[in-house]
Amino acid sequence: MTGRTALSRRALLVAATTAPLAVACTTPPPEPPPPDPLADLVRAARADAALATAAGAAETAAARTRHADELQAEVDRATPRVPGTSSSPAPAPAPAPVAPPANPTREALVTSLQTAQKQAADLAVTVPAHRAGLLASVSAGCAALVEALA
Amino acid sequence: MNQAANSSVDALQEALAAEHAAVWTYGLVSAFIEQQGPAVAEGANAHRARRDTTERALRDAGLQPRPPAPAYLPPQPVDSAASAMAALIAVETDACAAWRGVMERTDDQARRKSALDALTQSAIRATRWRRTAGITPAATPLPGTAVG
Repeated sequence: MTGRTALSRRALLVAATTAPLAVACTTPPPEPPPPDPLADLVRAARADAALATAAGAAETAAARTRHADELQAEVDRATPRVPGTSSSPAPAPAPAPVAPPANPTREALVTSLQTAQKQAADLAVTVPAHRAGLLASVSAGCAALVEALA
Repeated sequence: MNQAANSSVDALQEALAAEHAAVWTYGLVSAFIEQQGPAVAEGANAHRARRDTTERALRDAGLQPRPPAPAYLPPQPVDSAASAMAALIAVETDACAAWRGVMERTDDQARRKSALDALTQSAIRATRWRRTAGITPAATPLPGTAVG
């Protein structure tokens, strides 16, 4: 009886002294990085490409796909890799499926391009300089696409 | 002056050079595309205004704006409506690249807004000229980049 109690005490003591160590050694899960503001622009560009395809505007669809690809490349470049995971860059996630546009008209496409132009323009003024050029070109590209549809 | 400010000033001087070239070229081509008179006048006025504000911005920063060159070389001799429009597309494309350069080399928000406006207006005019000339696609996806 006494021996078992002593053992229990020892076990308790060991547990009590190592528990904080165990906690300290457990790596907390990394904080998820804040969402990249460019991710919204990628989604908008892919949605516009789908809308343009449905509206029969192939050139617009190709241009907005190009915007999405360039913006996604910048998002991927800027996304910090989680330490401890594979050192090779993770494969880019497959683009989220874009729901078929509800109203595939040229008017809807122009409205959407104008929104995208402004969204990229607002960001282009405030982002770090290395992103400002890309966002400015995307914004001006949307204005050019509107002009081409006029 | 620190390096970043220097780079920003260089970018602005390059944009001014592109505006000088555009003003000169719009003047050169007007006789060859008389039926495009209003569009030529609009482009010429826009580039003159942009040139003037850019010169002012440089002077306000205590710098000497670079003067225009005596003449500019169009991509091909201008002797027809087609070559006139090619010259206009070239100067608008150059202006887009120069203003994108300003975007990438300044953190000043007012300067960025102005550069973005210049880039956008040149991209719209380039698209208009490409469409008038029958070039497809009329809009380049990424104005200001070498590959469009």
